[in-house]
Amino acid sequence: MSATREEHRTVGSSRWNAGRITRIVVMVIVAAAFLLPIIGFIALAFGSQENIENGTSGFLNLAGISWDNIVYSWNQITGFGPGDGGLFQQWMLNSVIVAVGGAALALIAAVPAGYAFARLRFRFRKTFLMATLLAMVMPNTVLVIPIFLEVNAINAVGQLWPVAVIMGFFPFGVYLSYIHFMTTMPHELVEAARIDGLGEIRTFFLIGLPISKQAVALVAFFSFVANWTNFFLPLALLTSSQQNKTISIGIQELIGASPLFNATVAAGLDVKLYLPQLALATVISMIPLLAMFIGAQRFLVRGQTIGAVKG
Amino acid sequence: MTNQLLEDRSAAGTPANDSAPRSTGAKPPSRRKRAAWLHRDETVGAWILLAPYTVLFLVAAAIPIGYAFVISMQKAPTLVNPKSGFGGFDSFVTVVSDYRFWSTFVNIFTLMAIWLPIMIIGIVALALLIHASPGRFGGAMRFVYYIPGALGGIANFVLWVYLIDPVNSPIAFLWQGMGASTYKEVITPGNMPFILTAMLFFQGVGTWIVVVNGGLNGISDEVMEAAKLDGANAWQLAWHVKLPLIRPWVGYAALMNLAYGFQLFLEPYLLRQISSGSVVAEWAPTQLGYAFAFTNRNFPAAAALSIILLVITLAIGLVIVTRSGLFGDERVRTEKAPKKSRAERRAEAKKEQFA
Repeated sequence: MSATREEHRTVGSSRWNAGRITRIVVMVIVAAAFLLPIIGFIALAFGSQENIENGTSGFLNLAGISWDNIVYSWNQITGFGPGDGGLFQQWMLNSVIVAVGGAALALIAAVPAGYAFARLRFRFRKTFLMATLLAMVMPNTVLVIPIFLEVNAINAVGQLWPVAVIMGFFPFGVYLSYIHFMTTMPHELVEAARIDGLGEIRTFFLIGLPISKQAVALVAFFSFVANWTNFFLPLALLTSSQQNKTISIGIQELIGASPLFNATVAAGLDVKLYLPQLALATVISMIPLLAMFIGAQRFLVRGQTIGAVKG
Repeated sequence: MTNQLLEDRSAAGTPANDSAPRSTGAKPPSRRKRAAWLHRDETVGAWILLAPYTVLFLVAAAIPIGYAFVISMQKAPTLVNPKSGFGGFDSFVTVVSDYRFWSTFVNIFTLMAIWLPIMIIGIVALALLIHASPGRFGGAMRFVYYIPGALGGIANFVLWVYLIDPVNSPIAFLWQGMGASTYKEVITPGNMPFILTAMLFFQGVGTWIVVVNGGLNGISDEVMEAAKLDGANAWQLAWHVKLPLIRPWVGYAALMNLAYGFQLFLEPYLLRQISSGSVVAEWAPTQLGYAFAFTNRNFPAAAALSIILLVITLAIGLVIVTRSGLFGDERVRTEKAPKKSRAERRAEAKKEQFA
């Protein structure tokens, strides 16, 4: 990175034309460093182990792409599991359940809470808001072991619902909603509703909620993404039940069943999971995220200022 | 339940609420009492709206933390004595005196010494470059830098399984140059901090560029104009004007990433899996906690370690929330930088001169 700065220095010393070219060249090189591995990885998902072993997969695996490879890899991935396999689909479904369930809970909890923090006066408001901010900036894996102990105490380890409930706790969503109501709903509006005799709850539902589409979309998006990619929480709570794994820890199991990394386990399997198969499983697991991203994009662009302070 | 409790307490704490306004009889309620009555309505409404969030806060944060405290104070059951009882701080002693405890922290600090400076310089440099490129090009670049961050977690890891591959990776020449031809030879204890640095940088830098860019966009046009009128070139503008103004964001990024370091789990955990155990199973503190809970089944020790990590990250979190100037209550988003920096004041003074 120091190179970037050195080159930037020349921007100043030689007027803006040469400087501009350097800046653009540096930025494009960095962009290539970010994009090429991803392109190579996606191409790998469409490739075959034979090509890789023979060294004929080409630069970034682009020469080894074929539809047959995808079909073959798909059969390997979905063939994984006891009997006829099908664990992969089950894991995807489980992820959808906990990610959507968690996001729904996060919405139900975060939007009214954000409104209350932003526009209502009550005791312990500051304290609770502070606790929320702390929970937001704290890395969530720190709490996983305590949460495991709690879920273990009620004998619910291995079940999906505790995972969804825990994912419903999304302090960043509360913060987003809080900022949203702070910036879009003037105090006068709340006062006017009160003078008109509207109760606090009705004010929220009739006035606050209809103007919070933006916050709802952002909370749903960020919460879904966080839930979908969550690894440590499902690992601690769901590893004991193969059927109930989410896709993130499912992929970990696939890695562990690859002949590349565990020849003993792989020898006992009907399916062969080499890198192309692992890459395809990963690419498929990203499709729901991609769909969410496309769906939420117009809100993300508009909400750029809100998204600016994100943990 | 606690909801109700808080509500009652807050109501009881307001003297005017001791008697309900209606019991004042014929006398019209005084202004103060009326205000208190309205305020009470507001409190009740607030706690009803907060109820679902409060329940989740309790279930997913407060109760687990409290319960972990209780568990950590228990004796670990052993084969000889399977009953657990009160053990005081024994579990904390067990954790701290574990031969792996300090080495996990040494690992994390080694990683941070390499990763944090690279991360912060990378974030700031790229954010400044993007800010210096207005229009479509800058926007497109910001989007490209963000893509790896969107991969997240396990997907980013499998991508790195491909990049670490000493045969097929586009950077295989690097690994071969080191004399490595298998995963096991690439992922060595000595290489761990560097591999993790690369993984975390690749995954994390984009999100933070967006954050710091948000701060840059908050710099007022007048300040920029003034500096330009003053004859500042692009480099001077970035170094003397923009950088001081985005200091709160840079500090925020540094602290958040520091806290993130202590919770590292997925990457070292899976790197061990693909290296056939050439790195230790307890590389990071969270992995040690996982081992206590799932390998040793020593829940008190696992709880004690969680609490140690919790205290560290809470301390960092407190600094972020109270000191970064980004989370000031009420003035969030209205006042971008906590105080006017010297550069801004100077720029304003210059502007007045011109006017």
